[in-house]
Amino acid sequence: MEMTDLITPASVIPALRVTSKKQALQELAKRAAQITGLPERQIFEVLIERERLGPTGIGHGIAIPHGKLAALDRLYALFARLETPIDFDAVDEQPVDLICLLLAPEAAGADHLKALARVSRLLRDRATCEKLRGTESRDALYALLTESPASHAA
Amino acid sequence: MASLEPVNAVLLIGAALVLLGIFSSLVATRFGAPLLLVFLVVGMLAGEDGPGGIEFADYQATYLIGSLALSIILFDGGLRTRLSTFRGALAPALLLSTLGVLITAGITGGVAALLIGGLTPLQGLLLGAIVASTDAAAVFFLLRTGGLRLQSRVGSLLEIESGTNDPMAVFLVLMLTELLLAGVDTPGWELLRHLAEQGAIGAALGLAGGFAVVGLLNRVQMPGGLHPLFVVAVAVAIYAATSLLGGSGLLAVYLAGLVVANRPVRAYPSIVGFHDAATWLCQIVMFIVLGLLVTPGTLLDYVLPGILLALVLILVARPLAVWLCLWPFGFEDKEKLFISWVGLRGAVSIFLAAIPTLTGVAYGEAFFNIAFFVVLVSLLVQGWSLTGVARYLGMALRRTAPSVQRVELDIPGQTEREMVGYPISTDSLILALSRLPAWARVVLVVREREILSAAEAGPLHPGDYVYILTPPDRVRRLDRLFEESPDVTRRLTAPFGELPLNGEARLAEVAGLYGLTLPDAERELTVAGYFDAHLGASAQPGVRLRLGAATLVARSLEAGRVRRAGLQLDELVEELVATALARHGLRERLGKLGRPGTSGRLGRRLRRIRLPLPRRRPRATADPAPDAPYDASSEQ
Repeated sequence: MEMTDLITPASVIPALRVTSKKQALQELAKRAAQITGLPERQIFEVLIERERLGPTGIGHGIAIPHGKLAALDRLYALFARLETPIDFDAVDEQPVDLICLLLAPEAAGADHLKALARVSRLLRDRATCEKLRGTESRDALYALLTESPASHAA
Repeated sequence: MASLEPVNAVLLIGAALVLLGIFSSLVATRFGAPLLLVFLVVGMLAGEDGPGGIEFADYQATYLIGSLALSIILFDGGLRTRLSTFRGALAPALLLSTLGVLITAGITGGVAALLIGGLTPLQGLLLGAIVASTDAAAVFFLLRTGGLRLQSRVGSLLEIESGTNDPMAVFLVLMLTELLLAGVDTPGWELLRHLAEQGAIGAALGLAGGFAVVGLLNRVQMPGGLHPLFVVAVAVAIYAATSLLGGSGLLAVYLAGLVVANRPVRAYPSIVGFHDAATWLCQIVMFIVLGLLVTPGTLLDYVLPGILLALVLILVARPLAVWLCLWPFGFEDKEKLFISWVGLRGAVSIFLAAIPTLTGVAYGEAFFNIAFFVVLVSLLVQGWSLTGVARYLGMALRRTAPSVQRVELDIPGQTEREMVGYPISTDSLILALSRLPAWARVVLVVREREILSAAEAGPLHPGDYVYILTPPDRVRRLDRLFEESPDVTRRLTAPFGELPLNGEARLAEVAGLYGLTLPDAERELTVAGYFDAHLGASAQPGVRLRLGAATLVARSLEAGRVRRAGLQLDELVEELVATALARHGLRERLGKLGRPGTSGRLGRRLRRIRLPLPRRRPRATADPAPDAPYDASSEQ
């Protein structure tokens, strides 16, 4: 599983301006709707459902909201860099400023988990995260997400 | 105020000397010079023949300071000796500290009598006895500060021997001094009777004093800060009282310290901490005073006999004593060679040399100067080469990691365990792996001055100190996990593939989202309910339960129920671990953790920990999977 399988330059949001977790998820659902062609509402509900199970803020300012959608044709990832960090009710209580959204088809099974692993491995690299935080252009962010040293390893 | 000026001047000079000693120790440790020698040299430089020019020839004051310092140092020596380390070493050590001292004193004394014209056999024996004891302070000190970790049998033999042979040497010196003063010239029964009497009184009063200290500490309520002071005062009192009653005060304080160390005692850590500082101060003061006392100018007259006697002692007497005493115990030649080499002479010898001078025995000055020379040669030659010799003879255990502390524990009904402490830095390899082998059990974590249980602490953070209980033979493997490894940890710091879940999350939904297969009965539960069902009210942060092909870890609790948990999907964890290991070639370092990319080994190990986990898992199930991944937070 490579990041290039999950993400395109169009699914990178270089400077998302939101003030709350809910607004961030709404905004991401809207972008995801544009990319996947599924209804925004449906995506938002799936994400909220997962957040109800437990906030996906995994610490160090990173959140990985994710969910499954029956009508999806493949795995999609969206990456958003927030202009200002927001409260995400994360495990370490730190505000979140990097969000990677992951959507999987209902039948994705192991691929869903592999994609999750791929994303969390990428964002666990502190150096990569620092670079992502310091980069404002969409293409540069896309390059970092797909060409970070970690992506050659798997 | 004019009358106070001399006092203030003395205080200033004294404090300046101590400070000088402390600062020179900073320099000395860099070069591996024996610190005791440095303190001596500071004293000598400050003395009449050095730039300091202080005239000091007060043997009475030296005897007072020496007695006080030695009683505290020896009590401290006892205080740090856990009897559990004596196992297998007690008999040879005691033989070495009694018979060994006699043999050493006899040979050295005999040679001295032959070497130095005009000495009677008894005078020679006195000189031999002065330099016969292996110095506990020097050995304890060099073994600890040298960062040398010896094989446990050899290490404890040396510690016990050096800790218990001072009394023997002290008896000998005191006896011989008395005999010489009484005009007796040949050793006989009188000597042995005296020795036995001193030993018996010293042992009796020491043990009684030790138990008294324990009883008082545990029963009498005193302000916290007074515990260590109380112990020091009692130690000095035991020393003085025993000496007054005709027993060996040094033996008594050592034994008293031993009793305190091996009984449950209130405020033990603060007592040990205080004694640490007190012992340092005593060593510094004692050696500086001794340095002041000697006159390096007259010392030169004794260079030749001093060196010769030191050589006889180091090369002949000590090895012979070691070989004879250890004959029955099956030590290897290498071990005996090393034990011979660690026959360090130190403060005790110089202290003992002050006794004949003090009491006016003929040749007292000569004894003092020769003893001083022997100590100097011993500290220089043996002390300096100790670490190298230990390595050369294969006695030193390799130190691969920066374990800060090690304590051997004697847990009732258990096989041996050692408690090992490690500092965690941002580069610690363990952060990247975030798991410990099953045989290593986190006892406590010190985080920002707070002491947390393993369960409270959860995953380790940089800046933590972690204390781990482990079988002694696995410590080296553990050391490797705590190495600093910047390139690995740089990329692997955030949480390890753990997905947060709320306590009220329904397992059916969790299972659906992550493809976990669960029995129907379990699907109906919430996360908190799942913990309740398996653990009742005993859930704690860090407790883990298997959930299908994943592990559920309790992270925080509210009113006894799990409020937040983390889900560790096997596939996720496995891939992350395997990738990290493969990328950094760590697989070998960790033993057999599994090949990257292959599903299975690691997963199987995880799955081997089946539900429900008994609260105290029998060790039998922990051992077959020595490398099973384990989180610092895991609490069985």
